[in-house]
Amino acid sequence: MMIKNRFFKAVICILLLICLSGCWNSRELNALGIVMGIGVDRPDGPEKVKVTAQIVKAGEMAAAESAGGGSKGKAYWNVVNTGNSIFSTLRDMTNESSRKLFFPHNRVLIFGREVAEEGIADHLDFFFRDAETRLNILFFIAEDTAEEIFDVKCELEKVPSESIAKMIDVQAEAASQTMSVKLSDLKFRIMSKTFSPVAPIIETYGSGEEKGVNITGTAVFKKDKMIGRLDKTEGRGLLWVLGKVQSGIIEIKSPENHLVGMEIIRARGEFSPELKDGKVKVKVKIFEEGNLGEQEGPEDLSHPEQIKFLEKQKAEEIKKEVMAAVKKAQELNADIFGFGEAVHKKYPKEWKVMEDKWDEIFPDIEVDVSVETYIRLMGRINKPSIPE
Amino acid sequence: MIMISSILKKVRFQKMMKQSEKQDSKNGKEDEQTENVIKGNLEEDIGTLRSILGDSSDLIIRKFIFGKHIEAAIIYIDGLIDKTLVNENIMKPLMYINNLESGELPKSIDIDYVKSELLFVGSIDGKNSINEIVFKIVSGDTIFLMDGEKEALVISLLGWKTRGIEEPKTESVVRGPREGFTETMRFNTAMLRRKIKNPDLRFETLTIGERTKTDVCIAYIKGLTDPKLIEEIRQRLMRIKTDAILESGYIEQYIEDSPFSIFPTIANSEKPDKVAAKMLEGRAAILVDGTPFVLTVPMLFIESFQSSEDYYSRPYFSSMIRILRVIAFFLSILAPAAYVALSTFHQELIPTPLLLSMAAAHEGVPFPSAVEAGVMLVFFEILREAGVRLPRPIGQAVSIVGALVIGESAVSAGIIGAPMVIVVAITAVSSFAVPPQTDSGAIIRFVLLILAGFMGGFGIAIGLFALFIHMAKLRSFGTPYLLPLAPLDKSGLKDTLVRTSIWSLRKRPLGMSLDDIRQEGSLKPSLSKDDVNVPEGN
Repeated sequence: MMIKNRFFKAVICILLLICLSGCWNSRELNALGIVMGIGVDRPDGPEKVKVTAQIVKAGEMAAAESAGGGSKGKAYWNVVNTGNSIFSTLRDMTNESSRKLFFPHNRVLIFGREVAEEGIADHLDFFFRDAETRLNILFFIAEDTAEEIFDVKCELEKVPSESIAKMIDVQAEAASQTMSVKLSDLKFRIMSKTFSPVAPIIETYGSGEEKGVNITGTAVFKKDKMIGRLDKTEGRGLLWVLGKVQSGIIEIKSPENHLVGMEIIRARGEFSPELKDGKVKVKVKIFEEGNLGEQEGPEDLSHPEQIKFLEKQKAEEIKKEVMAAVKKAQELNADIFGFGEAVHKKYPKEWKVMEDKWDEIFPDIEVDVSVETYIRLMGRINKPSIPE
Repeated sequence: MIMISSILKKVRFQKMMKQSEKQDSKNGKEDEQTENVIKGNLEEDIGTLRSILGDSSDLIIRKFIFGKHIEAAIIYIDGLIDKTLVNENIMKPLMYINNLESGELPKSIDIDYVKSELLFVGSIDGKNSINEIVFKIVSGDTIFLMDGEKEALVISLLGWKTRGIEEPKTESVVRGPREGFTETMRFNTAMLRRKIKNPDLRFETLTIGERTKTDVCIAYIKGLTDPKLIEEIRQRLMRIKTDAILESGYIEQYIEDSPFSIFPTIANSEKPDKVAAKMLEGRAAILVDGTPFVLTVPMLFIESFQSSEDYYSRPYFSSMIRILRVIAFFLSILAPAAYVALSTFHQELIPTPLLLSMAAAHEGVPFPSAVEAGVMLVFFEILREAGVRLPRPIGQAVSIVGALVIGESAVSAGIIGAPMVIVVAITAVSSFAVPPQTDSGAIIRFVLLILAGFMGGFGIAIGLFALFIHMAKLRSFGTPYLLPLAPLDKSGLKDTLVRTSIWSLRKRPLGMSLDDIRQEGSLKPSLSKDDVNVPEGN
């Protein structure tokens, strides 16, 4: 009998224990405000930041799906609040929102140009530190304000944040003209004394209900302040050096001066610095393979000599792109390629002296670009469709 | 909790041992006192039997005179004997000697003469204990009593109505023998004997149940099965002092190793081929009269995932099915718990698009996910139970109503989210993929769901840890339950998650048999060199 009692006592204790544990940190899905994008701007008032959080309306999204896209309301809600720090401003949004903001599904972080020019380091701490935010958030600079970008009309997606996040990935995969920058990349660059951060720039076009958004270039930072921008050609030049070109189209001229479009299929890029007589020289090696994608004019380009010629042209074009990026970076005196880090790795002793003087050294670095290119395929037709 | 149960077990066991000792000594005395024997006076003996058996309407006592003047009687229970055989083989020869000339008659007709020269019966036995005779009568034997003889003849001419050999409903197969055990133990032993034509196949019968006197039979292959296992089974069976055994499930609960565990440690099957295969692996089978379900021991956890068909079809497909069954088992215990943990604690682990559609479905649902899942699971169990017990036409109606109410209306009314319906449906379907563990799975599922509801993934981890510790501790007649996974037995792994080719399974499962080697060397099929049939002239 006693044992039976003891047994039941134990069972009851265990059951009570479960009740005591409560439901710490348990949150139902309909108590979450799922944030998909955060924007940081400079407010008009005396406060330091204006934060926009884009919250998805899950119900609206499902409604839009079942109604075939013809839903009345927007599938998102932008909460705007101003304050002195990102963290407090975001938390203050609970005064406005019925649901607590939930950050792990945040896809994009957009800084307005004005804030970027003043310096972003202070505002980033929250995103690096907080347990709910992730380091794979995509980082952008808005040409005007971030707030505006979160309210553009997107034709294919339901939420602007999602649209922007997908856009940069597709762009990086197919055109490779600006870098897609994750918060982790940014963190890595911002922690280095010499490595300059970069970020894609997005801009709105049109106005009112028809406002759209597109990627226009790459922002260049010095330390944590934005100091200039690369255009699309220079952007790809940067990607060539970093070996991050995945695909894209290169336009060159044929022997008879017709336009030929080459598609990049595979590309590799690497660089190595060399120290000679106290001067830094960087050798950039680029390997590229591609197909002929389009040609103008009646020329037959399928002969080996022609192909050789085109390959040479292509190499020249790539070299031009790289040199444009190098020139721009040296003008801005921003080491966006990470030459400094490479020197650091290869010549750790010398680097100790060079590190503080890098701003003087970088503009005068000699960059030697060698490009190896191949044309592999001519597409479905070898000769052009128009006879000579 | 596990510790408490093990302490309880020990104490209970000790108590039981003491009691059984006492009982044994008591029984011995009683037997001596109440020993009754046939007196030799027909009227008196019939009177004694009648007083014991009472006025049951199915008791037939037929008195007659044969050999001109000898009084005799046959006694049997109507319905348990084959009347034609009794008439043809007992009555007819006895009556027939009335017609003989006196010269042809033997000088004295005694019971031995009847037994050895008159009756046309194979199974015949002399008995003089009243108790034994009564037991034989109720078991279906025919008793022949003769005036002036202190011995009765027990004649076995059993013949009652039985169900034929049919395909077992619980274990239907696409490929393989379709016969199933029946309720009559003798047929069942015969079916096993037909599978294993070997003098070493032994059947050992015990009678258990003070009132039901049920025949329970231990079947094993001598030289394969460990005698210690047989001894252990015998001991455990003899310990059962109860009044009724109606199904092998009774025996199972009396002899299992861990009566408090949610896992079954004794397997059962309705299929002779499956039982024969298990016996050939060195296991012992326990047949119980009156049920087609035959127990086999020891049971390994992995047996739940094995089906007889795995061995009949080729290894690739059966391996795939095995893996699927394991996945299904884990799905069936984990799916609702994981869904609740993910959607209330770990939303960051869900891919964004999935989270959004889950959130959309949960929009407007009035209950927390854990409650939602619990209600749905309970409803499913009710639906299942209702469907099982009802006759088929009504059962269908129940499932249609249930499916409509849960699947359609609850979702469109916004009471239950659609993903939850999917999760519960997946769980339900998966739980049937592993029939031996369906019952234990249902309980584990609920416990894990509660833990997940309170503590999320952490709760599931705690639950699974406790579960694995418990399973690692379980023994089935001394064999670790998780064999061959823990302790690891490499040769056993060939027939665990994957089932390799039959010809490569050289050894029997570890620790179960005396003779471990099933076949010498690998018997990989190959062309024999002298006999290559290459068509000539091509």
